[in-house]
Amino acid sequence: MSAVDYDVIVVGAGFGGPVAAKRCAEAGLSTLILERASTPGQKVISSCTIPFYGFLFGPQWIRDGDPPIERPITGIRNFFVRDGKVYATDNSFRVPGPLANRLAIGYTVYCRPFCTWLAERAVEAGAELRTSVAAVDVIMESGAVKGVVTDGGEELRCRLLIDAEGVQNILARKAGIRKTYRPEAVELCLLYDFKMAKEDIDRICGYQIEYYWAMPEEKIIAPLGEGSAVYIFPYRESIHMTIGRFLKGEEGVPVLAKELDAYYRRFFQVDRWREMYAPRTELRARIWDTCPIYAGLYQDMRSMPTFGDGVLLIGDAAGLEAAAIADGVPSAWFSAEMAAETAIEALRAGDTGASFLSRYQRRLEEHPLIPALISDTHRRDLAWARWSGDEAEMRRRVNQGWGIRLMGHLALPVLRAVYREMRRDPRVLKNWLDMFNRYHRLYA
Amino acid sequence: MEETLRFEDIPGVEWVPSPRPFITIDASKCTGCGNCLRVCLAGVFRLREKKAEVASLERCMECASCLFVCESGAVDFGWPVGGTGYRSEWG
Repeated sequence: MSAVDYDVIVVGAGFGGPVAAKRCAEAGLSTLILERASTPGQKVISSCTIPFYGFLFGPQWIRDGDPPIERPITGIRNFFVRDGKVYATDNSFRVPGPLANRLAIGYTVYCRPFCTWLAERAVEAGAELRTSVAAVDVIMESGAVKGVVTDGGEELRCRLLIDAEGVQNILARKAGIRKTYRPEAVELCLLYDFKMAKEDIDRICGYQIEYYWAMPEEKIIAPLGEGSAVYIFPYRESIHMTIGRFLKGEEGVPVLAKELDAYYRRFFQVDRWREMYAPRTELRARIWDTCPIYAGLYQDMRSMPTFGDGVLLIGDAAGLEAAAIADGVPSAWFSAEMAAETAIEALRAGDTGASFLSRYQRRLEEHPLIPALISDTHRRDLAWARWSGDEAEMRRRVNQGWGIRLMGHLALPVLRAVYREMRRDPRVLKNWLDMFNRYHRLYA
Repeated sequence: MEETLRFEDIPGVEWVPSPRPFITIDASKCTGCGNCLRVCLAGVFRLREKKAEVASLERCMECASCLFVCESGAVDFGWPVGGTGYRSEWG
């Protein structure tokens, strides 16, 4: 058997990788993180509102630390647009008045500072971080992953690989574990970052995310069911605005550069944008990325393994994005912790074979939130409204998915997670409340 | 000092050109369907004699859309050399 350089190599210092690395390093495992960017998070793009359940049920050290958050989010405001005008609003999903200053349903963050913060915590715990190094291939021996090959041609051997590479899945495909996500499962999001004065955001958005919905003929959004809404996320002194579209729909593969630009042009004519935002914003960045948000909705994608001999996959690499809320961070954190736990057990047992590692997949399946999040069809079900012309029904369905009735299908998984955490340690309730208070102060 | 590129129509991003190409097309597999051209927001591809080819990787944001839509498996998507490619503070 060849000598190993590290017990664990983690590929990718996005949201999941550092979480897995920190836990492995704390267990005394020699742990290396490889990141292809020169600074963690510089190649991570998201309209990032991390839902509260990521912080409550994710890594304790994030919850109890002071991560760089931008703005607490206390609700969703759904705007309905017809003939270039907002004609109705549904803001039924929000933290009720007296609590709105304390509790939040999520927090917006910029990926670069947040991922850097996570990676720094992993390094403090003893993990080694090498940036500007791309892992381009896996070392395979007798069908098992034994390490990675870097773009400089260096072979780095490990006892276990944790693959946090993201949606592109280059290493997992080379290891023969997964195939490319089908284009129907992947959304391309075009994101605009605008500078805006804090007092203007406080007055116009406040602490609520804005979703803009319309019937297909309005042409401000992709066909319903694909990409669905225009999103505005308030940050501290900026806003993120996103329009997305799936890489393949019923009409085949769209001409995305043309269509996404056309949606934006039309959206910029909508009265609320024109009157409230346009005079007070300045475009700072125009960026895009893909996210596998429907990977959990296609059986062939969902049934791809999340582990193999010598390797565990987490986050987007494992297809764990939330299909309706379209967020990948909580699942990346949950899966990172479960992968690290499995890695620690495997190395203690001296068995990194697929059959031992299959307990990781079971943990994912038994998690109180992940299966519910990745199989939520509310967003895809809106495709129905494309053909019906029934705008009232579309609004009812938006209320189910992103209004007060969101509580109906989110409550049970969240309560299950609350129960699980409280059984482990009843004092966690106080930590949760402390977190809301601390984050509130971080923002203020 | 490393060379960085910026483009007016894509503010908030800079690119350090990769010394090696990281997206290639296998002409023997390419059917010329044009899917890669349709989804690419960076204008990486062009069609020549009914085959797609890489015209310029300068604006690529490494999203791999081209890989996901290529039904014939002609697109080989890899990573730019570590520390190169795009970067942004605003993701």
